[in-house]
Amino acid sequence: MEEAMTSSQGGESDMDYSDNECYDEYYNIHDDSDIEQIDPRKIDPEYFEFRCLLEEEVDRLLNETVEALSSILHISPSLAKVLLYSHQWNVNEITKKFRENPTSVLVSSRIEPATTPSSLLLTRYIICPVCVTPQPLDKFYGLSCTHMFCKDCWTMHFEVQINQGISTGIACMARDCVVLAPEDFVLKHLQRPNMREKYQQFCFQDYVKSHPELRFCPGPNCSIVVHSCEMKAKRATCTQCKTAFCFRCGCDYHAPTDCQVIKKWLTKCADDSETANYISAHTKDCPKCHICIEKNGGCNHMQCYNCKHDFCWMCLGDWKSHGSEYYECSRYRENPNIAHESVHAQAREALKKYLHYYERWENHSKSLKLEEQTLTNLKARINQKVMSGLGTWIDWQYLFTAANLLAKCRYTLQYTYPYAYYMDAGPRKELFEYQQAQLEAEIENLSWKIERAETTDRGELENQMDIAEKRRTTLLKDFLDV
Amino acid sequence: MAALPRRIIKETQRLMQEPVPGISAVPDDSNARYFHVIVTGPEDSPFEGGLFKLELFLPEDYPMSAPKVRFITKIYHPNIDRLGRICLDILKDKWSPALQIRTVLLSIQALLSAPNPDDPLANDVAELWKVNESEAIRNAKEWTRRYAMDN
Repeated sequence: MEEAMTSSQGGESDMDYSDNECYDEYYNIHDDSDIEQIDPRKIDPEYFEFRCLLEEEVDRLLNETVEALSSILHISPSLAKVLLYSHQWNVNEITKKFRENPTSVLVSSRIEPATTPSSLLLTRYIICPVCVTPQPLDKFYGLSCTHMFCKDCWTMHFEVQINQGISTGIACMARDCVVLAPEDFVLKHLQRPNMREKYQQFCFQDYVKSHPELRFCPGPNCSIVVHSCEMKAKRATCTQCKTAFCFRCGCDYHAPTDCQVIKKWLTKCADDSETANYISAHTKDCPKCHICIEKNGGCNHMQCYNCKHDFCWMCLGDWKSHGSEYYECSRYRENPNIAHESVHAQAREALKKYLHYYERWENHSKSLKLEEQTLTNLKARINQKVMSGLGTWIDWQYLFTAANLLAKCRYTLQYTYPYAYYMDAGPRKELFEYQQAQLEAEIENLSWKIERAETTDRGELENQMDIAEKRRTTLLKDFLDV
Repeated sequence: MAALPRRIIKETQRLMQEPVPGISAVPDDSNARYFHVIVTGPEDSPFEGGLFKLELFLPEDYPMSAPKVRFITKIYHPNIDRLGRICLDILKDKWSPALQIRTVLLSIQALLSAPNPDDPLANDVAELWKVNESEAIRNAKEWTRRYAMDN
């Protein structure tokens, strides 16, 4: 699968970087000559190096890291995986910590128990504490904590955990024991092929999610994993399903707005629907892994089912540091003490401001869809022209380039509205909105000219494209902060 | 219906032969996985003198999954809500297959002796327990008298 491997190693070929939309060709017209050493990061604020990997390639990448660590520390690959998973795949950090204090690393990564296990009673038959069946000793297995259980009980325990979606986090069966079952131990006790496969699939997902340089393509039914050494909120485009998304948060690409702000904005925009009301009333994001959590009980001590982080529902603070301070945070919420007489006026003003930005955001989103329609019509008209001998297919290609550029510019323009909405008033906001207005004007010009492509001079259109793209890049250079 | 696992048989036998003081757990005649439980309110707690009915069910994958336990008798307690659901770590993420019906019920009894308003399930109850403990205890005693006695 050569196509899935669009690599982008800097100057070697600029064609490859970030995506293969037509505007790249537009850029590359200038690249033939002598300006090759210029750092692309300086010219293009959205420049992003990444690779799209197939599952096998990700496996290979992960396994290389696993093997490297297991040979450095002389531990089994299975244990190396546990260490890597709990340390975001940072080999250097693990090695450093391990050299300083191996026991503390193994204990904190839940490979070894905190207290030294008591020596075993070695009789020929023992009773499994779980199924209470006496069995010969050789039927018993245990982890480093030496809590022994029979083979069948381990199998059942693993199957129940896997069916709940747990894989890398399966612990020993003993009470209060936090030692994790490493991959080889689990697989040794799983016979059913579908269980083994499920387990390995879940592990793979956990590994990718815990790896800061990897991200699953959010495209529907797409199994591509994007790899980049730059962990930034930049646009990655899947070479397989063409989905473009923000590498950091996995949502639709949103420059110049940052990940937190766009999330806030999108939730706010969806506010009209009952679902959104429910979500804001009953769910919050885990403060650690940001997964959405629904509060389905009264208990305010929350434990994220995904990352196991313990936190307080009221203030989202770490539960550990919380304890008796709990009611401090609930009391604070009770007495906001706002000036009541102006509440209605404030609300109306806030709504007016929001609607101003929302209408523009929504409008550009609709325009993007409408312009897709324009492009389809354009294709049909060009086809007709070519068939009737008015120029060749190649002669009209510039129009597609123009339409793609228009879409790209309008997309950025759409995402400048949430950015502006959350900006504090001041000279910086004034500058932003000035640039935004400039960009908007040039985009509408371009759109106008494309709709009337047949009567517009090609040179004039290309000039307009150049201006619009320059405005876009200028705005991003000044405000895209990743 | 599948045969009852040895583990459940053993636990039931032991519960019958050596019952835990202050706790009775009797399997239902028609379903050996369903237990009728009565916990007596611990001494020196606001629940003293009360008899609290609970239901306990052992799910299909018990002991790999925790038993499901719920108070049937109304109780005024910061970690038990109006529906009788209990906020207890070993019934949730701290469950271990090495725990038993016996240990679960003992933990519930201990929860009656030591309510934990810092980890509340019934927010209003927990609030009062924090702000005005003596009034909360009065309420708990009143509820015990009203719902958990004379039955």
